[in-house]
Amino acid sequence: MTATTAPNTQLNRPARNRFPWFWLWIAGLTAVLGVGVATAIHVLIEGLAVTNLSNELPWGLWITLDLSAIGLGAGAFTLSAAVYIFGMHRYEAIARAAVFVGLLGYSSAMMALFLDIGRPDRFYHPLLYWNLHSVLWEITMCVMLYFTVLAIELLPIFIESTALKRIDWLVALSHRLHRLMPIVAVVGMGLSLLHQSSLGATYGILTARPVWTSPSAPVLFILSAIAAGVSLTLFVSLLGSYIMRKQLVPSDVLRDVARIAGFAALAYLYLKIWSWAATNYYSEIPGRELGLEVLTENTPYNYTFWFGEVLFGALIPAVILLWGRLRRNPRNVMIATLMIVIGLVLNRWNMTLSGFVVPLDWTPGTATLPPNTYTPNLVEILVSAGIVAYSWLVFSLGLRFLNLYPDARKLEQVEIVTID
Amino acid sequence: MSEQQPTPQPQQDGPDTAPTGTGSQQSALVSRRDLMTLLIGSGASFALAATLASPLDNLIDELLDTRANTGYAKGESPHHWAMVIDLSKCVGCDYCVYACQATNDTREDMRWNIRVEDETPTGNVFHVTRPCLHCNNAPCVHVCPVGATYYRADGLVVMDYDRCIGCRYCQTACPYGARTFNWEERDDENPYTPEFGRPEISRRDRGVVEKCTFCIHRIDAGLAAGLMPGVDEAATPACVNICPVTARYFGDMNDPNSEVSRIIAEMPTLRLREDLGTEPNVYYIPAEGMSI
Repeated sequence: MTATTAPNTQLNRPARNRFPWFWLWIAGLTAVLGVGVATAIHVLIEGLAVTNLSNELPWGLWITLDLSAIGLGAGAFTLSAAVYIFGMHRYEAIARAAVFVGLLGYSSAMMALFLDIGRPDRFYHPLLYWNLHSVLWEITMCVMLYFTVLAIELLPIFIESTALKRIDWLVALSHRLHRLMPIVAVVGMGLSLLHQSSLGATYGILTARPVWTSPSAPVLFILSAIAAGVSLTLFVSLLGSYIMRKQLVPSDVLRDVARIAGFAALAYLYLKIWSWAATNYYSEIPGRELGLEVLTENTPYNYTFWFGEVLFGALIPAVILLWGRLRRNPRNVMIATLMIVIGLVLNRWNMTLSGFVVPLDWTPGTATLPPNTYTPNLVEILVSAGIVAYSWLVFSLGLRFLNLYPDARKLEQVEIVTID
Repeated sequence: MSEQQPTPQPQQDGPDTAPTGTGSQQSALVSRRDLMTLLIGSGASFALAATLASPLDNLIDELLDTRANTGYAKGESPHHWAMVIDLSKCVGCDYCVYACQATNDTREDMRWNIRVEDETPTGNVFHVTRPCLHCNNAPCVHVCPVGATYYRADGLVVMDYDRCIGCRYCQTACPYGARTFNWEERDDENPYTPEFGRPEISRRDRGVVEKCTFCIHRIDAGLAAGLMPGVDEAATPACVNICPVTARYFGDMNDPNSEVSRIIAEMPTLRLREDLGTEPNVYYIPAEGMSI
């Protein structure tokens, strides 16, 4: 954002006079990543005791990061499906960037998961020992396979953007892969529909925790992932446009993708409200009312849900993205998409915490156990910051060195990205 | 789930049922060669189907089995272990808690067997002790991504510490909070040994989940030595042996004459959170003033 403040009268400025903002940014991210890596090594040596997690609340910030990163990677399958399955080839102008964002999201999630399990040395066990009835097994398999799909989708872009394009057989491979893309996209969509939903099911199927129990959780997860995944891709594309002073994505594509994000947010909102109404307002699920009471008393859940997730994270941005007059201003689109992204992260945090804060009710009498509490500590925060820095770092480098936006043009009007 | 469904044998009497009149008359509709191809082809398909039917059937059964009965150990057991805890007798002395901690060498804040003070709706205070309930339909078994928690044929829900990846989903799923995770390498002193017993199993590694086993090591060694769990102390869980008011009973549900079978048959008992359908193997005799 900072680069946009300097007025620029010439389109082709001499590069040598520029202050190396880019490399400063890269150095800063590398520093954060370095601290994250050092902290991660500390976790691997000392074990998970160095976190604030407990037996009562065994999942926390890292699971939120992991769920968010996978959700935010959903732009990849959505836009790939649009291009290669539904033949909307215009969207290729942004689909590559979406795949790149997806790859970063999934790799971030795998890093967080690797640290979060007690025995990282056994990370491959789900491949060897199958439990077909475990949603988590299905998620692990899908995430591993889908990461491979994303890598295959990205390989041709990597080859054509780097010195590798001088190697003939690699270029030939790249063309061959490109022709396989429709199949790859179908596989990717299938895998995504499975695990994006199963992540919601991870919580939704647990009948012992009434705040979680919900058959709509899987669908809510995938709808919010589509909205926020597309939104993040749109946001970083617009941000990149301003910083690089290029119209990275043609304005008609920007408009249509913004509408897709808006409609997805609206669909998410619709199901979210009905899911709430059906299980909290029009019916009484045993224990749920009590659970929500505990949540409202001990956490800001009531506000973060209604103002954060519903109003800020879905309703307002949906209005901005679907109302032509508001959408025409690219800065409004940036704000709206960022709101949807934050809304998803907030939702994944609320989802994780809400079920754990409410104590289990298993005693045969009337006694209730005390509510559980959790605040992430510095170790968890530094590792998370390191993982986020990794994704920004690699995205920044990709923006600079990879041909992520095949239709990018120099801005016609200085500094103004257009959206039809 | 392990018993195989008898596969229906494909009918092998093809030639008898061949359409009459086509073979010898060189019919224009179906030639002899076509007929032979058809017969051989269908025979081969039947043979293929017959060989594949059984494994496919098993796979489909496995996929469609909604009760999550995966992980049943192969083999059979004549026993099905259960525990009865008498809430009307329990005085809250915590001896079962300490004995478990000494025998299974658990950490102070990672007890397998805990006590909670509870109240009846009319305000009578009573004590609930809770081991692992060894559910017949255990959520922890259901969710484990690697099958590290599984059912034994004798009804015990046990863990393979060498397979566990430490994801803690079982902890999240257990309705009873019966699972604990090894957040760090253990170097703590066990405060209840030797007064309440000596460690009989090794400490668990850092990074895996653990839980009560009904003293599986005693059950297995006891049966091998000709002892009966629940009758002979050496084969019975430590928490049951130590109870000074005999509020805990252990035994074989498959034996109608065992003490647990008789209590469950004769007394009103309850199980924790029956509404969840987990079917625990720990039965509670209600405290005074409690309604079932």
